[in-house]
Amino acid sequence: MQSVSTLERILRGTAISLVIFFFMFPIFWIFLMSFQTNETILRVPPSMVFEPTLTNYRSLISGTLEGSTATLEIRFMSNLYNSLFLSVTSVTVGLLLGVPAAYAFAKLKFRGSEDIAFTLLSFRFAPPLLVLLPLTIYFQKIGLADTYLGLIWVYQLIVLPLILWIVRGYFEDIPSDIEYAHRIAGHGFWSTFTKIALPLAGPGIAAAGLLAFIFAWNNFIFALVLASADKQPVTVGALAFITASGINYGQIAAGIMLSIAPTFALALYAQRYLVEGLSLGAVKG
Amino acid sequence: MSLVLKDIRKSFKGDLVLDGLSLEVPTGKTLVLFGPSGAGKTVLLRLIAGVIEPDEGEISISGRNMSGVEPEDRGIGMAFQNFALFPHMSAHDNIASPLTAQKQTKSTIQSGVQSLARLLKIEHVLGHKPKELSNGQKQRTALARALAGKPDVLLLDDPLRNVDAKLRFEMRLELPRLIKDQQATVIYVTQDYKEAMAFGDEIAVINGGQVQQVGSPAQIYLSPANTDIARLFGDPVINLLDVTPKAGASGPHVLVSDQIVPLPENHLGDVDRACVLGLRPEALRFVGADSQGAIPVTVETEAPLNEKTVTLAVTARGREIMLSRPAGTPGPSTGPAHIGINARAALLFDRATGALIPAQDTKIEGKVA
Amino acid sequence: MSTQTLDAPPARKFKISKRFLPYVLSLPALLVCIGILIPFFTAVAYSLQRYRLSQPWARKYNWGENYLNFMTDPAFWNTLKVSLTYAFLTVGVELLLGLGIALLLQKRSRFNNFVSIMLLMPLMTAPALASLMWKLMTNPGFGVLSYWATLIGIEDMKWASDPSTAMLTVVIVDVWVYTPFIMILLLAGLRSLPRQPFEAAELDGVPRLFVFWKITLPMLTPFLLTAVLFRVIESIQQFDIIYAMTQGGPGDKLTVFQVEAYLNFFQSTNVGRSAALLMILWAITYILSTIFIKNWLRLRERARGDA
Repeated sequence: MQSVSTLERILRGTAISLVIFFFMFPIFWIFLMSFQTNETILRVPPSMVFEPTLTNYRSLISGTLEGSTATLEIRFMSNLYNSLFLSVTSVTVGLLLGVPAAYAFAKLKFRGSEDIAFTLLSFRFAPPLLVLLPLTIYFQKIGLADTYLGLIWVYQLIVLPLILWIVRGYFEDIPSDIEYAHRIAGHGFWSTFTKIALPLAGPGIAAAGLLAFIFAWNNFIFALVLASADKQPVTVGALAFITASGINYGQIAAGIMLSIAPTFALALYAQRYLVEGLSLGAVKG
Repeated sequence: MSLVLKDIRKSFKGDLVLDGLSLEVPTGKTLVLFGPSGAGKTVLLRLIAGVIEPDEGEISISGRNMSGVEPEDRGIGMAFQNFALFPHMSAHDNIASPLTAQKQTKSTIQSGVQSLARLLKIEHVLGHKPKELSNGQKQRTALARALAGKPDVLLLDDPLRNVDAKLRFEMRLELPRLIKDQQATVIYVTQDYKEAMAFGDEIAVINGGQVQQVGSPAQIYLSPANTDIARLFGDPVINLLDVTPKAGASGPHVLVSDQIVPLPENHLGDVDRACVLGLRPEALRFVGADSQGAIPVTVETEAPLNEKTVTLAVTARGREIMLSRPAGTPGPSTGPAHIGINARAALLFDRATGALIPAQDTKIEGKVA
Repeated sequence: MSTQTLDAPPARKFKISKRFLPYVLSLPALLVCIGILIPFFTAVAYSLQRYRLSQPWARKYNWGENYLNFMTDPAFWNTLKVSLTYAFLTVGVELLLGLGIALLLQKRSRFNNFVSIMLLMPLMTAPALASLMWKLMTNPGFGVLSYWATLIGIEDMKWASDPSTAMLTVVIVDVWVYTPFIMILLLAGLRSLPRQPFEAAELDGVPRLFVFWKITLPMLTPFLLTAVLFRVIESIQQFDIIYAMTQGGPGDKLTVFQVEAYLNFFQSTNVGRSAALLMILWAITYILSTIFIKNWLRLRERARGDA
């Protein structure tokens, strides 16, 4: 590029600082808040000087909140557990269903394959309530209402298209000759699928799984519509916090921190694949 | 273990790649598939291997119809042009793959891989992954994998295409013996006529999805079915001159630079037909000006190759002619000279179709260098 | 091995015919597909019925009546207006901001890569939880943003609970969460552009603004289009942020399509109207998503080609 003037450097530096500030401050502030008691949080003007305490985390983990008026039970840990359970099982189911299908779409072109793939994709973009509202009524009838099974089923709406389209791309990248060579060497179809296709698409499958986990974890609307309190994940459960009487703001903040930590960690781990996952395989990072 | 292909037809998305192709390879023989790229050679190998199915026609191995038989049950070994090694497995595991498929014992696998590796001089890299191997080592690994299962039918898809010249030279010497030792029925695909001549018991020239000619290397060289094949086999390329046979006192003949070149008697029926005369460069030689039928030419340039010297000469009419003579034999390197034609080696083709007009009394004999 | 395989086909474990194999592999996905299509068509049916959960006895097909009623229903027009405003504002701001940041971080350097990874964190935050975070920061009592507002002379800023600033507040949260999405897509796009035209322009001394308009932007268009369509489709259906922040309030200030449909279904138990609203939203997103998928497929081809 052309020579960089001092003015431009200053402008660039300022712009980047502002950007970092805007996007990082909320996380930073809530992080601080999670180590404060209501007393320091409610100070005006707000200050970053305080004596950090772990009581918020401790009471969330123990399940009893020392409110200002009374002690109350809070199900945060069970929400966290629900999030974990729903995400892990949804992704596992999604991988079990999606990976073979992705292989079929990628390698065995067959009649209707594109139609199925696109129906799944287009519903990724349809309003979720459109499917959810009739499902609530169906689920009542067939006894899936407020069950983990029903939720895991619905989570496939977001998990399956993601896995299908990303993993499909990785399968397509495997040269057919390599699979042919394995068949000709005397191995059957399934052996070639498990010994050649799966290992070679391994990184893609792992990335799709991690991203699907993040999306499932962050989902709000499915559980809001379909789950009662004891099946709710943190996204829905945390919202109930703020209306709960006698709760400490520091505890809400601690709850938020605990809820976003897993996705942050996974995102850092899978960052190489994030672009690809977020664009459903359209853009490689 | 003979291999028979009957009326194979295959098209991809409306493009006809193989158009009623038939071939037969006797047990233990090597057939070279020769043809330009896009002629359908690779598709043919995949059909034989069973990874794709023909639209029509029948493939049988040892009399057994292969239709519906999975690739793993066909008893085939195949080496791919791009090697197609399993990238996540070591060279050892790649080579062992056919043996593990056969559920051999560990020690059998071990000794099988070792002996092949020794034969192909890759013992020292058995532990390496394909991406750590040189192209030559990859090629040898791929070959070893194709041979490991002791297949009845061995398919070699231009295995020397992607290796460097030195290695190709070495392998051209090694490979024929290696193949013979396998006692397998072999199909060898190549675009290099020298490889074709060196390896094949028979050569099948295919183009446009059809077999254009099948024959021994000598047959293909000495009586190519058409001008295309004549041009493909031979270096330097055959001289092709437009001629029209005439009848004369001494029988049918053509005129090249006003000099009579006699033709076999049976070409009498071809008098006044538009033809092409094919003259192999080695069927021409320099002669004295007074020798009979000597054609005056001007020698333009001379290129000494290893075992032969190639000369480019131009006739009085401006036709370019290439001559080839064994290296070390004397000849003019520039200026005016005369050439004589070995009329028995002349080939006559129809100009419109390019097809060979056979001379009935021509016996095919002799070896081809 | 040879004789053994040739004389008699080896005894095989069960083997699925080649023709059915693809269907066997994709059957589960197919079932999920059907599991989506059934509720979808049910929703179509609901939208053509007078159907209130509170009055099941009065349920019957009224065909287009739900849709016809929308014509004269100010609440519907409000929903349409709020949804479009929200989509327009969020995507507009996110596009400009995302493009700007992508350009700032375009050069590959350790620092730039670190910043771009850091900026992904809001995108990794569940939108509902992001709303909660901003709720804590905009609390009129102790929120740090409310305090900062007083510093620049805005006393008593009520953010999401004030009709005049509710939209602004949710738009800020949406921008906070989703700008990184556009940024990271455009950054990948920028970094994938061929270098030659830029080097040539630099050699010729072409002004940088001109390069941006005439080279960078046109070459970036497929990425921009994908990012914007993706975001418009999502933004027009936004539920999590708005519902978590205000549940559609104050009043009907933020009753976007899905929030309105949710409230209709669960509060007024008017299933028919709720379904009809969602059908209209679906029609909008369907048109957008067909354009999107075409463009997306082109990009995907290209990404695969590069591999």
